[in-house]
Order: sequence, then C-alpha cells, then structure tokens
Amino acid sequence: VQLDEFRTKFDDWLDQHADELAPSFSGGGTLDEQMAQIAKVRHLTFDAGWARHGWPEQVGGLGGPALLRAYLSEALTARDLVYSGVYSLPEVLGPSVITFAPELAATVIPPLLRGDEVWCQGFSEPGTGSNLASLTCRAVRTGEGWRVTGQKVWTSLAQYAQRCVLLTRTGTVESAHRGITALFVDMDAPGITPRPIVTMHGEEEFCEVFFDDVLVPLDRTLGEVGQGWAFAMDLLPYERSTALWQRAAFLHRRLRDVLETADASLIDPAKLGEATQLVYAFRARSRATLHRMANGETLGAETSIDKVLLATAEQAVFDLVAEALPAAVVIGDDPVSARWRAEFLYSRAATIYGGSSEIQRNIIARRLLELGNDR
Amino acid sequence: VIEGDDLELFERSLRSATEQHTGDALDTALRDLGWADALSFDTRAAVSCLFEAQGAAGVTSSALDQVLAFALGRALDDTTAVVLPPTGGWSPPATADGGRLLVRGLLTALRGSVLVVAQSGDAAVGAVVESAGLETRVVRGIDPWLGLVEVDGVVGVVDAVGDEIAGWEHAVALGRIALSHELVGASRTASALAREHALERVQFGQPIARFQAVRHKLAEALVAIETARAVLDAAWQDRNPQTAAMAKATAGRSARTVARHCQQVLAGIGFTTEHDLHRYVRRILVLDQLFGSHAVLTKRFGEELAATRTLPRLVPL
Repeated sequence: VQLDEFRTKFDDWLDQHADELAPSFSGGGTLDEQMAQIAKVRHLTFDAGWARHGWPEQVGGLGGPALLRAYLSEALTARDLVYSGVYSLPEVLGPSVITFAPELAATVIPPLLRGDEVWCQGFSEPGTGSNLASLTCRAVRTGEGWRVTGQKVWTSLAQYAQRCVLLTRTGTVESAHRGITALFVDMDAPGITPRPIVTMHGEEEFCEVFFDDVLVPLDRTLGEVGQGWAFAMDLLPYERSTALWQRAAFLHRRLRDVLETADASLIDPAKLGEATQLVYAFRARSRATLHRMANGETLGAETSIDKVLLATAEQAVFDLVAEALPAAVVIGDDPVSARWRAEFLYSRAATIYGGSSEIQRNIIARRLLELGNDR
Repeated sequence: VIEGDDLELFERSLRSATEQHTGDALDTALRDLGWADALSFDTRAAVSCLFEAQGAAGVTSSALDQVLAFALGRALDDTTAVVLPPTGGWSPPATADGGRLLVRGLLTALRGSVLVVAQSGDAAVGAVVESAGLETRVVRGIDPWLGLVEVDGVVGVVDAVGDEIAGWEHAVALGRIALSHELVGASRTASALAREHALERVQFGQPIARFQAVRHKLAEALVAIETARAVLDAAWQDRNPQTAAMAKATAGRSARTVARHCQQVLAGIGFTTEHDLHRYVRRILVLDQLFGSHAVLTKRFGEELAATRTLPRLVPL
C-alpha cells in the first residue's frame, strides 16, 4: 500500500517537475555533465522529501521500507534523468556505514543523499582485485590518528568525491582478512592524489588514488579495528543486488529506444526475443531479492546470481544494439551515437566490474552448491 | 490460498506421491489428495508444487490434462484425456470441417475418450469423442518413459461440431506455466545428480568438484535454474499469455543449458543408461517441444516485438 501510494505520488511529482529535472545536454553528456545532473536530481528529490523515504530517520531519512528508495531509482532511470552506471553508489555504501558507524552516519549520510557530496569506494588495489583479503594499503595507529599510505585503483568517481570508504591493512599482511580495517576518509585531506583513468568508453569514470601519509581521525573508523572484512562482506551483497535494481529499467528503456529507431531489417528477432527475456528475467530475480530484503532477510551469496544474470542481460542487449544500430556504434560522432557507443562499450565491463562473472561463479559453487574449497 | 504450514504439507504430500507413483497410480494418488480441487482454489500452489515435483521425480501423470480442462472451464473425468497440440505447436489440435473434426495431436495417456479443441473459422469448438474412432500410437521416441500417445484421424461429431469453447489461449498459457515448472523440477534433479558425481568422482587425486571448469558448469546450471524460476514467479505475478510464453521459453532454454552442462560434468557415465541422468536429458528435450520450444517461442516473440515496436512492461516492484 505504502509502495503503491509512493509510486503514484512520485510519478505525478516527476510529471509536474519534468522541465526542472530534465538534463541540459543531449545524448549521454560528458561525465562532468552527468555528475552535475545527478547532483541536481538528488537535490530536488531530497528537498521535496522523495529521496528521504526508505532511509532511517537517524540519518535524515523519513523511514519506511527500502522498497521506496528502489522505486525512486527505477523511476529516475526509466525517465532517463540520471546516468544509471553510477547513480546507485549511495545504495552500495550507505547501508553498511549506517550499520557499522551509526553516529557518524547521522552526519555524513544526509549530504550524500542530497547530492551535496559524492563518496567513493576504496577497495581494489593494483595487486588486489578479486583477492580482497590480500590488500596492502596500510593504516598505522598514532597518537594523532591513523596514518594511511598506499594505493587504490578502479575507484569510481574518486576525482569528484568528498569522502572515501577505504579498506586498509592494520594487521600484518599474513593476517589476511583478519587484519583489515574500514575507514571513512575526507578526500581533501593532505596526501591524497586521485589520478583519473580513461576507460574504453571514453570517460574518466574511475581513478587510481595515492595515499601518502594521510591523517585520518580515529573516530572515522567504521566499526571496530579489524572489522574491515566484515564491513566488506556486509556491503558486497548490496553491490551485487539492490544497487543493481534500476539497471533493468535502464536496459528496458534502451531496448525500447533501439526498437523505435533501428531499421527493422537489422533486428534479428531471435536475439531481440532473447535479450528481452533476459532483461525480464533479471528484473524478476532482482525483484525477488528486494522483497526478501524488505522482509528482513540478510542478503548473501545468492546475490551472485543476480550479478551474473545482469551481466548476461546487459551484454545481450548491447550486442543487439551493435547489430541494429551499427552506424551509431561504429562511426557516428553526434551525441546520440556517442551515447550508444559508450553504452555498448560499457556493457563489455558488465562481466568484470563488481566482482567478475568468474568470481561470482566461484562464490555460487562454494557457497550455494557447497562444492567445497577449490584450492 | 494455501499458505504457511498448509503449503508446506501440501508440497510434501505431492513430493511424496511423485516419489512413490507414476502414471495411473499417480493419478489415483492425486485424486486421493484432492489435487484437482486445489487447482481451482489455489491454482498457483497446485500447479507449481505438483509439476516441480513431477519433473524432479521424472514421473508422469494426467495432471496436464486437468490443467488444460480447468483453463477451458470443462470438467474432466478419469476416462477422458485432453488432446495436446502436435510436437512443437500450440494451435488447437483439430480443425472443424463441416460435421467432421480433423484431429492431430498428442495425449499424455490413452483413455476411452478425448476432449478435443478444434479451430472452426474464427472460433474454437470443443468436443468429446471416442478414442476408438481415432488412430493412436504409443510413442517411444526419445523418451519412452513419458508414455505420450500420438493421435490422428477424422471423426464425425454427433452433436454438430461440439460447443463453442473459449479460452484456448488461456489453456495454452497455463499449460506452458505447468510445463515450465516441470522443466525446472527436471533441471533441479539433473543438477543434483551432476553435483553428487562431481563430489564423488576422484581424478588426479581429488574430487573433480575441485576443478574450476567443473565448478563453473555447475554454477551456470544453477544460474539457469534460478533464472527460469524468477521468470515463472513474475509470470504468476503478472498473469497473461505473453508472460507465460516468456516463462516457457526461459524454462526451456535454461533446462537445455542445465542438461548440457550436467551431461558434460557426468561425462562418460552420463552418456550411459546405467546412470539416471539420461532420463532427465530426454524428458527435458521433449518438454521443451510441448506448446512451443524455447527457440521457436523466442524467435516468434522477437518478431512480435519488432513488428509492434513495443516491449512488454516489466513486472512492477
């Protein structure tokens, strides 16, 4: 009932404020433009109250089920108001920060939701991709606070971020997952240097970030010292599921766009049928996951299935796009073509980001099928 | 609706019935359990629980006939079967021509009479006719254990060409949902058999379940099963012929993926009749072909989308 009411009222509000909310650029825009657009949409939806639903009152929310914020992200994506690829970062990072550091969350979550601030996720390192427990970015406890030295990579939006949720090594390297601590770091602290990396789809969407003796106050520890692994394990299921919910709405919209614009003779019906079924399947799977969470279940390894399914659906959709709109993808230089090309190229990373499909299958094999260790 | 403990009990009794009986004996067990009544007051529970169990156990029954008759709004006694469309098809299995019906289709079992739906101009008509007037052949084919019967022939209908019948499209939709559940059930057992083998079979001094190539095939099989299940869930949520067709296409494709990966994991023994896997592979191949295979349904679906340039709506949150 709450969801239905929210849906109707929010849709009305979006209709009424369509002009205000619309992006000022055509096609996909640059990343700077997309980030400005996301900030604008967050501002408007937060100030009107919509973006506060589904978040706890202690962090500036209005309470209510998390399904409400899922609908918000879906509606914004379906109307093409926000860049789907990075819009849901607060869904990845927010809930675990609330769980592990409720006091800190009360002050830092509202500006995140309102779009006043951007956060980034400092997990991966040059020598630490899928094997997160081997990370080496070191934090040493001193009288003044933590002193952090090391390097992160694939850190989305680090050059825009005011804050970083950072995993650091506080024990010995041999202590593996036991010696990791999560910190909440101000990106303007002296000693932090983000260096953007240009991706194949032409954006500086992620960075490598260098930490050179960066001072982080002790009260910025997320949870207890040595709880970094638990923090990461709490967060990853959301990264692999609820944060992905709006991707079905995005893929559905882009499938519709390709159907409306492509030359019919270039559409292979079998591929169109299968891509549509896969998007529908991902949506159905993701829906079930959200409802399990709404019923109080803790999400776990089964979310790896959501991630594999999304990657499969996304690549099927954009493989179809490459066949149906070849000129746009291959030679077009206008904003609309550039967007199709960027999205096609971005889809190549769907089986890589957020834990590669191979890592997801390892998790499925070990945790869901209980096939024992593979080493 | 059947919920909570009742649902668990209902599911358990159906599973137990399918583990103990097959064919006519299973029909009797289902009658004792009041399954046909459940079909009318909680269609979802009745269809999903029974067909998953039937698929998992690899057994047969006349439940599909009951499902179709229910969707057509006809009562069905135990001496009457419902004519299914021929392999791969989903049009009514007969055409009306004057006072005669030209019948071509399949039966889940041979009975004294059959309920047949025939295309008659733009309308569909239904008639119950004696099986004796039709040519029937017990199918061995790729899956002799399924016990299908091929039926063919021309019958004169006593009372004109039967009554007008509505809802063939709905019967096809519900039939597809039931078969999708059966495919999911068969897929689960195939996957369990392959998993068991991977854990037991030792090569190079370790169970083959240690090898990533094997693990990933089993993981892909589980992803396929859960994909089919999710679409079925959505099809129940948003019940219409299009979502039912999507469910059948997805379940068929998923089951074929499961069959391929599991057979590869079971390797030599999975290619023999000494291991049970072959039965599930056979069953999946036939079920995929009933009421439209995944390949044909998917292509047809794509053609429809391209022609109308509209997509089905996504299942709402």
